[in-house]
Amino acid sequence: MAVGETQVESGSEPGTKEVETGWRATLRKIKRDTTARWGLYVITFVLAITAYTLIDGNLSRLTFGNVSDFAMAEALPIFEHPERLPPPGEADTNVPPAFHADGSMAHPLGTDPNGRDYFTRIVYGAQVSVSVGLAATFLGLVGGTIVGAVAGYYGGWVDDLLMRAVETVYAIPPLILIIVFTVFVSGGSPDVRFAIIGVGIAFIPVFARIIRSEVLSVREMDYIEAARAAGVKDRNIILRHVIPNSFAPVMVYATLQIGVTILIVAGLSFLGFGAQPPTPDWGEMLQTSHSYMHSNVWLSIWPGIAIMITIMGFNLFGDGLQDALDPRIND
Amino acid sequence: MSSESEPLLRVENLKTQFFTEAGTVRAVDGISFDVHEGEIVGLVGESGAGKSVASMSLLRLVESPGEIVGGEITYKGETIFGLEEGPDGELQEREDMLSNQEMRDRIRGNEIAVIFQDPMESLNPVFTVGGQLREFIELNRDLSSEQARQEAVEMLREVGIPDPEQRYDEYPHQFSGGMRQRVLIAMALACEPSLIIADEPTTALDVTVEGQIIDLVDDLQEKYGTSFIWVTHDMGVVAEICDRVNVMYLGEIVEQSPVDELFYDTKHPYTEALLDSIPRPDKTVGELDPIEGVMPEAISPPSGCRFHPRCPDAREVCQRVHPENKQVDTAEGVPHRAACVKHDAFDVGYDESVPLAKSPQVTADSSANTETSVTDPERGTAGSSGGEGSE
Amino acid sequence: MGLLRYTTYRFLQAIPVLIGISILTFVLANLTPGDPVRLMLQGVEADQEMIEQVEARYGLDRPMHERYLDYMAGLVQGDMGHSFHRNQDVASLIASRIGPTLLLVLSAYAFALVTSIPLGIIAAKRRNEPFDHVSRIVALLGVSTPSFWIGIMLILIFAVQLGWLPSADLVYPWWSPEVYGHDGYLEHFVETIRHLVLPMIALGTLQMATLMRVERTQMIESLQGEYVKLARAYGVPERTILRKHAFQVAQLPIITIVGLNLSTALGGAVLIEFVFNINGLGRLFYEAIIQLDYQLIMGITMIIATMFVIGVIITDIAYAYIDPRVTYGEAE
Repeated sequence: MAVGETQVESGSEPGTKEVETGWRATLRKIKRDTTARWGLYVITFVLAITAYTLIDGNLSRLTFGNVSDFAMAEALPIFEHPERLPPPGEADTNVPPAFHADGSMAHPLGTDPNGRDYFTRIVYGAQVSVSVGLAATFLGLVGGTIVGAVAGYYGGWVDDLLMRAVETVYAIPPLILIIVFTVFVSGGSPDVRFAIIGVGIAFIPVFARIIRSEVLSVREMDYIEAARAAGVKDRNIILRHVIPNSFAPVMVYATLQIGVTILIVAGLSFLGFGAQPPTPDWGEMLQTSHSYMHSNVWLSIWPGIAIMITIMGFNLFGDGLQDALDPRIND
Repeated sequence: MSSESEPLLRVENLKTQFFTEAGTVRAVDGISFDVHEGEIVGLVGESGAGKSVASMSLLRLVESPGEIVGGEITYKGETIFGLEEGPDGELQEREDMLSNQEMRDRIRGNEIAVIFQDPMESLNPVFTVGGQLREFIELNRDLSSEQARQEAVEMLREVGIPDPEQRYDEYPHQFSGGMRQRVLIAMALACEPSLIIADEPTTALDVTVEGQIIDLVDDLQEKYGTSFIWVTHDMGVVAEICDRVNVMYLGEIVEQSPVDELFYDTKHPYTEALLDSIPRPDKTVGELDPIEGVMPEAISPPSGCRFHPRCPDAREVCQRVHPENKQVDTAEGVPHRAACVKHDAFDVGYDESVPLAKSPQVTADSSANTETSVTDPERGTAGSSGGEGSE
Repeated sequence: MGLLRYTTYRFLQAIPVLIGISILTFVLANLTPGDPVRLMLQGVEADQEMIEQVEARYGLDRPMHERYLDYMAGLVQGDMGHSFHRNQDVASLIASRIGPTLLLVLSAYAFALVTSIPLGIIAAKRRNEPFDHVSRIVALLGVSTPSFWIGIMLILIFAVQLGWLPSADLVYPWWSPEVYGHDGYLEHFVETIRHLVLPMIALGTLQMATLMRVERTQMIESLQGEYVKLARAYGVPERTILRKHAFQVAQLPIITIVGLNLSTALGGAVLIEFVFNINGLGRLFYEAIIQLDYQLIMGITMIIATMFVIGVIITDIAYAYIDPRVTYGEAE
């Protein structure tokens, strides 16, 4: 008989759940949460595709350069070397998707105006979107963590100065800021690498604010006081105690922010300031297809759906994570 | 206060259960009590005993996934809750049971009002105190907006809020905890109900304010003649204010008697334990004797008597026999009931039964509890370390 | 502190931020590697003399901090500089293009608020019922789909396929009907709306979805509040609880979100004006970027950031006005 083992309130308080803490409890909640689980499925799917495109030896991993040849195309007969640019004049530029009357399974989603297989390009587009999303968010996270932790921990004029700077960056709408940054810093020839840095800078404020408020709440806790009294260096206090404690809310935010990043970078590429042709990027593909909007409708449809699904995956997972970590609303 | 007249409120065998993923929680498991006109009836027990659920059941305001599943609640001859067997053999709500509409229009507020535990959260932060008061008065009494306002100001004065005219237009955050609780009392009284359910109204307040509020309620109760159901875990408050007491443990009433009888002729070991755990003038803090262990979960109550794992008088028979709340004595013509087999009214062989050995686990836990109680003796907690404040 | 003083205080607080923005845009615009003049003259056959002329015209031969102070001195007097490519005053260019953008952004907000609040409330009330599930999926799609792609799809469906609505440009209600050859004000109004519908939905969907999620969460939380329990216990009808008691408390975070989301909406306007060919500030920004017309870029960036800052201040003041708990002195 387990009398006295548990202090769970029941009877009068059936709404409140057992207070669980720690990573294991969080993971268990995520597993239980349908939203988070579906998010995880979608993310895994997109990441698997990205991973595949990265292993494919013919693709330059760093420059997101032209996709010239595909291992997958060799492996799967239906793709008849789709991504090779056909010789001039021979390009069958208007192959519609397979479900179309004139379509064929050789190009399940048809071809783009250059005669490149659209399905392959969509698949490879995952690489740019996902890596840009992850890299830029990570950059913002690191930058924001440094700024927020320093501002929150030292307070005083350091805090004032950094927070004014953060407010300034925050006041310029991200898309505008990123475009201005990308175009000017690249000297008029924007590129996806500048876009990553731009997005990273634009996201410093949001992360800095979260970290700062976490730091402010953690700073006053007894064990931090104790560590300081014991002569632990400030830098070590921040790294060992303050930042790990702020981890949970930041992770939720970062996950949701990946979606926002992908959304913004898609817009950036769509305007021509992000990934440049011939890089297979969903935003870039939407830009190219914009001129063919009326004649080849499908060109505009698939990249959008791909973006939507990818972002949805991160949003679902972020939501689930939030539910798992936030005890305020329970079902 | 005579028991012969028809009571204002009669609760019979009330059962309220919560259907959670983990299983059915029998929060209120067949309790019966009544409230007569002009009486203050206590509902006492540790956190999780089901006191609050029981009181919300009286208004039919149990929140999902909770549900009243059985019993009967009669108020002034009207059926607030009652079941009968339908033509298909299933239980169904009785024909004469008040509809939701009737409960809202005629019972809640105008007949039965409540005072909640947490005065900080109970008032809406974005409306003025006076506005909220006026709204409820207007809704529950046939008064015009202007009259309701007058009444609201009057009530604020009555509960001892200085400058009521001016404070009428202030917001809850501008009031202290004690003042907010006075507002809630004003709210309850202003609707002129016959019964007020006070759900731990002083738990969130500090001791001096608690005393003031209890005095205030005592005075106003005499003046208005309103009946009260006073839900609390604090035996000290019970002694000060209640006429009759119902002691609840794990969804059941284990002892029921007039207040003096309860204190001077305690019949249930749980009540005794509750009394031993509060400070009294004739005892020093060192003599305080907290109840051993923590109340088990209502989802899987112990067999037999639900208190037996923590009971100092427990014998083998207590594990087997589940005692009902029986009359064991009479005091001033009022029955004194207790649900404990050690009394002669139960003939189940308690005297011959072997005392139960305490498991080491319980002992270990009790030491932890001693600590909590001693550090916080004036709150008169019943020795449970499970958060009292969260109810 | 009174509301008026609070308002003044908030506006004064914005001044350092605005100065910060001017520094930031100025620095960004001057980060360009190489010669800014050559960048500006891209595609123009330019000889040395012309380059020197341009340098002198824009003072590019002087150090950066001097040029910044000059620029600031101009800004204070309402002179935002000169557009090189258009040979026009930046301030007057912006003034001529700001109308359509405001019309677009405000109508997108109106659309978002009108749809999201009722939907969010119903979803909260019918939590975990089919309506809630459907609206949550819609909201999820809304926050996951690029606005410009929604715009493209709307054009393909409602303009190209069905031919119901126009796909490009706006009709400006502040111009007279004769300019468009409209037969009176009714037709003028109808045409304005018809042109506005698609871009408004495209830009407003993200806002709608965001606000709907917040509204739902806030309402759920508010409905669990003790004050709601109290109102129920006093016999207040469910409808009044929903519309008054729970609603008022739940709206406070919405106000803040509306202000902060202006940032996304203004950025989104660039994309939507591009897709729908609307001659607003966003499109002007796009063109200025393409032409590397750097004083124009700085001017537009300043204006857009200022619009955002003002929007946030307005919502802050609204919040302070509605929430009695805000003590003006300490408010940020």
